[in-house]
Amino acid sequence: MPGPIDYSKLRILPDYDTVEWWAGTKQRKYLVRQCNACGHKWFPPIFPACARCTSMDIGWFETAGRGVLHSYVVVVQPIVGAFIGAVPYVVAIIELDDCKEADGSVTRVAGVMLNDEAEVAIGLPCAVEYEETSDAKIVMPRWRVSGTAANTWKFAE
Amino acid sequence: MGALTDKYCIVGVGETPHMRPSNRTTLSMACEAVRKALADAGLEARDVDGMTSYSIGDSTTSPHVATALGMRLNYAVDIFGGGSSGEALVANAIGLIEAGYCKTMVIFRSMNGRSGRRMGGQTPGGPIPVALAEGDGQFNIGWGWTTPAQRFGMSAMRYLRDTGCTTRAFAEIAVAHRYHASLNPKARHRSPITIEDHQRSRWIVKPLRLLDCCQETDVSVAIIVTSRERAYDLRHPPVFIMGGYARTLTDSPQWNYSREELHYVAGNYGWKRAFGMAGITHKDVDFVSCYDAFTFTTLIQLEANAFCGKGEAGEFVKGGRLRIDRELPSNLSGGHLSEGYTHGVQMVIENVRQLRHRADDACPGWAEGRHSYDRAAGCRQLKQADICCGMGWGWENMASCLILRGMAA
Ligand SMILES: [Zn+2]
Repeated sequence: MPGPIDYSKLRILPDYDTVEWWAGTKQRKYLVRQCNACGHKWFPPIFPACARCTSMDIGWFETAGRGVLHSYVVVVQPIVGAFIGAVPYVVAIIELDDCKEADGSVTRVAGVMLNDEAEVAIGLPCAVEYEETSDAKIVMPRWRVSGTAANTWKFAE
Repeated sequence: MGALTDKYCIVGVGETPHMRPSNRTTLSMACEAVRKALADAGLEARDVDGMTSYSIGDSTTSPHVATALGMRLNYAVDIFGGGSSGEALVANAIGLIEAGYCKTMVIFRSMNGRSGRRMGGQTPGGPIPVALAEGDGQFNIGWGWTTPAQRFGMSAMRYLRDTGCTTRAFAEIAVAHRYHASLNPKARHRSPITIEDHQRSRWIVKPLRLLDCCQETDVSVAIIVTSRERAYDLRHPPVFIMGGYARTLTDSPQWNYSREELHYVAGNYGWKRAFGMAGITHKDVDFVSCYDAFTFTTLIQLEANAFCGKGEAGEFVKGGRLRIDRELPSNLSGGHLSEGYTHGVQMVIENVRQLRHRADDACPGWAEGRHSYDRAAGCRQLKQADICCGMGWGWENMASCLILRGMAA
């Protein structure tokens, strides 16, 4: 498991479009945006309109917080001071299981894995967990490998 | 062919040295680059009546440069933008001059890219002490995922997985561009490197190593665009703008969370228009430039612009194919990887010099177009340099392109 993230060195500033999303993580809910007109889902919630139908009548879809690891990087040289103690850490893009749409596209999210590089591979199932921070208003979602899969790929260089 | 193909030309280029640090303001550097471009073109400051620049809020503006140099402008607009903006502002210049808003236009970029604001927010002294995650940043800075290396790395990783190529393909880019830098007296890193040097260099963010990353520098660059009629009266043979595309976007522009293939980048949406406008095919292209903020970005731009098939770029670049005197020379100045980082404009500058047959290399007669073509003696000029395709990148989601020709083509 990577070292600790020093959340005292990270200030998350929710805005009008995202404050409900951060309120969601505090209640251990992983939300994505959803269009009330056509049902399209997306992430991140900074976008205030539906890219399928342009509706601004939008709400939230509470996902199960499970998905498949789509790609990842292993940060070896930290740039954000809060993460100096966490290197090397894995940031992953995850395709959510319950956000597949009729055209075959899937809503993708991202986050810092709770696993070390050796345990991570493209194609593995992952599940969200929640981490308390030094800011009482912010709970940070993290991701953990939750099982095995048949066709996985990992960077082995 | 496009209606305006070959009607507009690049007539002047100039740049400051690549420094770290410059110990200068972005305004001072911009004035130097613009003066050099004017001198290169054989123009006076009063001959220019339009100026435009791009920055990410880290630079001076056209009205400041115009005031400093005593220019009275009919058009001065500075845009927010990074990579791929230089080529796009050339497209703007064509439209503005054609429409009569101005006659001769300077495009500049000036940045203390190393000693001032660095890409990804890193401070000159090291990691960001306290990071503010607002706007987009809530969903990347919050996960310790900020720099272009960290963010482009996602599509690089997925590319390796999807195509089966290895980072030895990335190394090919680093080696080729460094070899070109070894022939460029202006380049910051001139010692040739090998594939093994690349493979042994330290990890920055897997799958990218130190030698996959560009050289951030403090620098200013400028180019001048005018009409063909005016261009013929100036100092150098004109370089004609054949075609291009300008800040073309992908379907799903917030690429970190794209719904498309992560490595299906914006060039895929542009190249047919550019080549159609220019009236040429890929076979007509003598050399290319690619926005090599990272080795991987060159690889994927060649593929996106159809210089090779989908998933084939790793194989395509093998065995030094991008080196001078080989099949498709790329980034002849050394590019961002080895010359220095200018947010893209230096590639346009080098392409112009090559097309004029006046690469500023070790040949004593370079300024008059006399070259030895002897690489061992430091000659960087291509023998056949009639048409080039320059590809700009502004993240996976955004790309520009500029197809240029010299007098010979
Ligand atoms: Zn909708």
